[in-house]
Amino acid sequence: MIGNQDLLLGEVVCYHKRHTVHYQLREDVVAIQLEQARSELAQFSQEELSQVDGIISRNRGKPGALIPVLEQVQSTIGYLPVSIQMRIAQGLNIPPSNVYGVVTFYSFFTMVPRGRHNIRVCLGTACYVRGGQKILNKLSDMLGIDPGGCTDDRRFSLETVRCLGACGLAPVKVINNDTHGQLKVSRLDGILAKYQ
Amino acid sequence: MARLTTTDLQTIRERVRKENLFRSHRKSTAGKGHALNLTGSYRAHILVCGGTACHASGSKALHQTLVEQVEARGLAREVKVVESGCNGFCAAGPIMVVYPGGIFYQKVTADDVQEIIAQHIIRGKPLRKLMYRDPASGKIIPHMSAIPFFGSQKLIALKNRSLIDAEQIDEYIGRDGYRAVAKVLTDMKPDEIIEEVKRSGLRGRGGGGFPTGLKWQFARSAAGPVKYILCNADEGDPGAFMDRSILEADAHAVLEGMIIGGYTIGAHEGYIYCRAEYPLAIKRLTIAIDQAKEYGLLGDNILGSGYSLNISVYQGAGAFVCGEETALMASIEGRRGMPRPRPPFPAHQGLWEKPSVLNNVETYSCIPQIILEGGSWFSSFGTGGSKGTKVFALTGAVNNVGLVEVPMGTPIGNIIFDIGGGICGDKNFKAAQLGGPSGGCIPASALNTLTDYEEIVKQGAIMGSGGLIVMDEHTCMVDTARFFMEFCQEESCGKCTPCREGTKRMLEILTRICKGQGRPGDIELLEEMAPYIKDNALCGLGQTAPNPVLSTLRYFRQEYEDHIFEKKCSACVCSALFKSPCQHACPIGMDVPGYIALVRAKRLDDAYRLLKKTNPFPAVCGRVCPQFCVPNCRRGQLDEPMAIAWLKRYVTDNGQLPVEAPAPITRKERIAVIGAGPAGLTAARDLVLRGYRVTIFEELPQAGGMMRYAIPAYRLPRATLDREIEGIRALGVEIITGTRVGKDREFARIRSEHDCVVLAIGAHRSWTLDIEGETLAGVEGAAEFLRRVNLHENKLTIGKRVAVIGGGNSAVDAARTARRLGATEVTILYRRERKDMPAWQHEIEAALHEGIVIDYLVAPTKLSGSNGTLAAIECTRMKLGEFDRTGRRRPVPVAGSEFTLAVDLVIPAISQSPDTSFIPADAGIKVSKGGTFERAARSHTRSTAEGIFICGDAVSGPATVVEAIRTGHQAAQDVDEHIRAKNNERPYKEPAEENIDIPFEVDEQPVEQPKARMRELSAAEREGNFNEVELGYAAKTAFKEACRCLRCDAELEG
Repeated sequence: MIGNQDLLLGEVVCYHKRHTVHYQLREDVVAIQLEQARSELAQFSQEELSQVDGIISRNRGKPGALIPVLEQVQSTIGYLPVSIQMRIAQGLNIPPSNVYGVVTFYSFFTMVPRGRHNIRVCLGTACYVRGGQKILNKLSDMLGIDPGGCTDDRRFSLETVRCLGACGLAPVKVINNDTHGQLKVSRLDGILAKYQ
Repeated sequence: MARLTTTDLQTIRERVRKENLFRSHRKSTAGKGHALNLTGSYRAHILVCGGTACHASGSKALHQTLVEQVEARGLAREVKVVESGCNGFCAAGPIMVVYPGGIFYQKVTADDVQEIIAQHIIRGKPLRKLMYRDPASGKIIPHMSAIPFFGSQKLIALKNRSLIDAEQIDEYIGRDGYRAVAKVLTDMKPDEIIEEVKRSGLRGRGGGGFPTGLKWQFARSAAGPVKYILCNADEGDPGAFMDRSILEADAHAVLEGMIIGGYTIGAHEGYIYCRAEYPLAIKRLTIAIDQAKEYGLLGDNILGSGYSLNISVYQGAGAFVCGEETALMASIEGRRGMPRPRPPFPAHQGLWEKPSVLNNVETYSCIPQIILEGGSWFSSFGTGGSKGTKVFALTGAVNNVGLVEVPMGTPIGNIIFDIGGGICGDKNFKAAQLGGPSGGCIPASALNTLTDYEEIVKQGAIMGSGGLIVMDEHTCMVDTARFFMEFCQEESCGKCTPCREGTKRMLEILTRICKGQGRPGDIELLEEMAPYIKDNALCGLGQTAPNPVLSTLRYFRQEYEDHIFEKKCSACVCSALFKSPCQHACPIGMDVPGYIALVRAKRLDDAYRLLKKTNPFPAVCGRVCPQFCVPNCRRGQLDEPMAIAWLKRYVTDNGQLPVEAPAPITRKERIAVIGAGPAGLTAARDLVLRGYRVTIFEELPQAGGMMRYAIPAYRLPRATLDREIEGIRALGVEIITGTRVGKDREFARIRSEHDCVVLAIGAHRSWTLDIEGETLAGVEGAAEFLRRVNLHENKLTIGKRVAVIGGGNSAVDAARTARRLGATEVTILYRRERKDMPAWQHEIEAALHEGIVIDYLVAPTKLSGSNGTLAAIECTRMKLGEFDRTGRRRPVPVAGSEFTLAVDLVIPAISQSPDTSFIPADAGIKVSKGGTFERAARSHTRSTAEGIFICGDAVSGPATVVEAIRTGHQAAQDVDEHIRAKNNERPYKEPAEENIDIPFEVDEQPVEQPKARMRELSAAEREGNFNEVELGYAAKTAFKEACRCLRCDAELEG
């Protein structure tokens, strides 16, 4: 034990029992993490943070509310950095590790910012059979980012999804809420130009 | 809006029914509008498909424009415009259906609206240009119910599709909506409901196939006041959109099913777990729930019965595993979606550890009708073990992509070909994937498999949720297995070792194989791991993840072996195994981009030398090759594939024929080749280049085999052929013609005088029809006929009326030859349809152009004549029955359809076998039942007798020149290896090849243009002569065509 600080950083939850574990950490490491968290939060406006708090308070006490809260918060501020996760954990009285566990489990949640326009290229079977991979490769080239990434000007982010259910129009991609089907590599420029 | 009573429901139902009376899937009812022009009711209803796919194609704009224009024309009180849910025929979207009449319009855009209103609505003249055209007959089909895609379906779960406004509860009520709830709440006890559902035989439609009635019974008998009724709307299977369509079109059907289920088991809370990737479905569900609540059909005291049920929508967050029932419940509880072991089963301990029933969307949507019509009604459809109907999402390489519902027991081939309209682009069916990443594939040989849970499992697949993905010959099955395993690996929750580690390792192996790094033992390792993972994984995801691998290994093991041992991907998908797909697909690996680049650089002599490196007969192939390369040409994805053979021909017509000098004889061994066709000539050429003394024994007066004695001169001029054969003679090969082994020379003597013998005798004996009268004079097999014509150098007199039986290239060659010999009535009689004919498309077109008639679905039954001479052929019409092992429908005779044709000459062209009669019985050379030589185990060209090698059509049956060349190359290599091994010599070392520098020049921005057309003689110019029909490219044309090549063989440096 270094120093006298002794932080309770989380509870490990097994399926049927609860174990409480105390982590012992170095002060300076903790200080750096707190500083990171503070600067993360600083990029959100007061209004955004109060919207987040509103979502949390409306759902406090409801069983199983974590996922809907995360979804609503993400659609409000765009992503779920650790600092926001801690805020939600406190507000819902859930261990932060649970929140972190859920955020990292579901592919819809992101801990890094997404672009103004999120491009989701479908790589479900029907789209794959009809050339979805080529569309993805071309988009990746055009934007200069890999799937999972975001352009420097935060205009576009690119990711793959498994099956949007529009298989009749394979290959398909969705930008924001617009579905674009029967894609051809030659048409991609024109489609992207519509999204500034 | 007030809460409804059952009487209120009835009132609404009758009112809306009357209003929407002529909206019907049945043609008879759909027209009934005219008589019912009641005051205040609409005289026309226009339903625009508002499913996600049609939205993506612009149906929202279409709907908007329609509403505006109807308003602008003052028709808002006469014409009702409705946005319905998914219509199902996604390939034709955006879709619009107009009632009365049920007129179906496809690919409608906002620009068409003006005309639709002006012509159809106001003037009463439906627009033909927007109607569906049947691709087979070319006829327009105006009525939706008459279109084959719709006509063969039976709608139960999709009963309301495209008939109601997806966001108006009244329209649902108008079609008997909530009548089942009323019946259940006023008149039925839970046990009775369970009995009815059990009687129906309904099994879980999400893929599990568990009897629904039984599941409800378990939950009902569980103790406790708190229970949950849950709906699985997660539909994560890639390629499945059945549930999405139901939710978007008919959300109330699901709600009604849940109310009935909830009442049965005693639940007062319900959740619909819907994946977040379905925003429209979530929106429509939310609207439906709100409207139901307002009517008091959800919430407290439903219809005054005392029963209460609240349903909420819970949105998923992008995890496929949450479609698994315990993972789904964990997700609703706000936890990571990881499954847990069972027992305890959810029916006893489910959500929040309370008894819960989780059913699929499609399962619930069947419930109301089961209640109203009775369980026996539902079980009157289907098979013994699989009752009712099933909705399939039919996608992939079919023409009619969309959503179909068929009675259980329908053969899968019927779904793909009758409803799906067959494979698009005239490609060939390869396999259909059933059950997504948990399922398996159904190959061509199993197309008769019935849609039945157990029958499908027997074939190694599963019914799954209904995703049916059709794959054509351009799909690599190894890559497909890898694709599904990658999916499972990504979606694995990670909780249990067999799935987490097992899928990872299997994926590693599959990825290596697809990258050309497959190792012996890989297949065995996959087969060893698979059952372990299946037996030990915690949930359905892991338990079924190995299925696609096992299924593809079962039916396509050869593809795996080709990838591993030959580094070959015959679908040209695994690009790490090859540079350009054309070269990879070519049986002899010709450097296609290379010689095309040389054409572009106008270096034709170099191009000819490049051709000769792999192909001794490029001038022949440039004219007659079937071009295995072309379907894989990537240019075809832009506009049209390259005209590869025609460019090859251009080189051989205009480049300098390389001069061959006699090859030095460096070895003492003597090799005999029997047969001077392309296989034998190629083998001889290769062997003489390796220093051997080679003698070819040829029965016919000249060398060439099928190239001279079958392929007609109007396709391959003899002078051209002679030049190429002369090149082989010039190397020093001795060709002794006019010598039949077994008659003019003893086989045993040839064997003893030579160190090895290569049998390249081809397949020149026509199969018989095995019908009465075949021995009459005037009946001659195609191979024999064409041989006779060529022996007489095209100067032969034949009768005027000729019938050719068969559909391959021999049949077309015989027919076009007969025409040139003066026959005035030449008919090809083929027992299937045009698309099934093995002959090449342009040959069929040429035959039709030359006035030859092709009669389809006909088979001969008898040949008759007098005095031993043929006079007539009796035939019967055929219809297509079940699928055979090649995936084509077997023709069966139609009783009473016999007819007779008067003929002078009948030419059976149904296939050929080799004539192996000269082989002595004690030679030890095994011949198969079909008459072809059998290869020794694990060998390409060894026969079962030592020192005897076999190649060409004599092994494979009738094939092509380029394949014969390939086996000829192989035979020479095998002979050489055999001799060297016997003498303990080192293997042959290829001398350094002449390096021909290939320039690299590619258009930066390819401009779309079709391939250059080939000039041909007109039909009149062809009559009565055997002049070459195709005239070859001019220099400018060849250059322009060569510039289209995308140089797929290019690699980046460094």
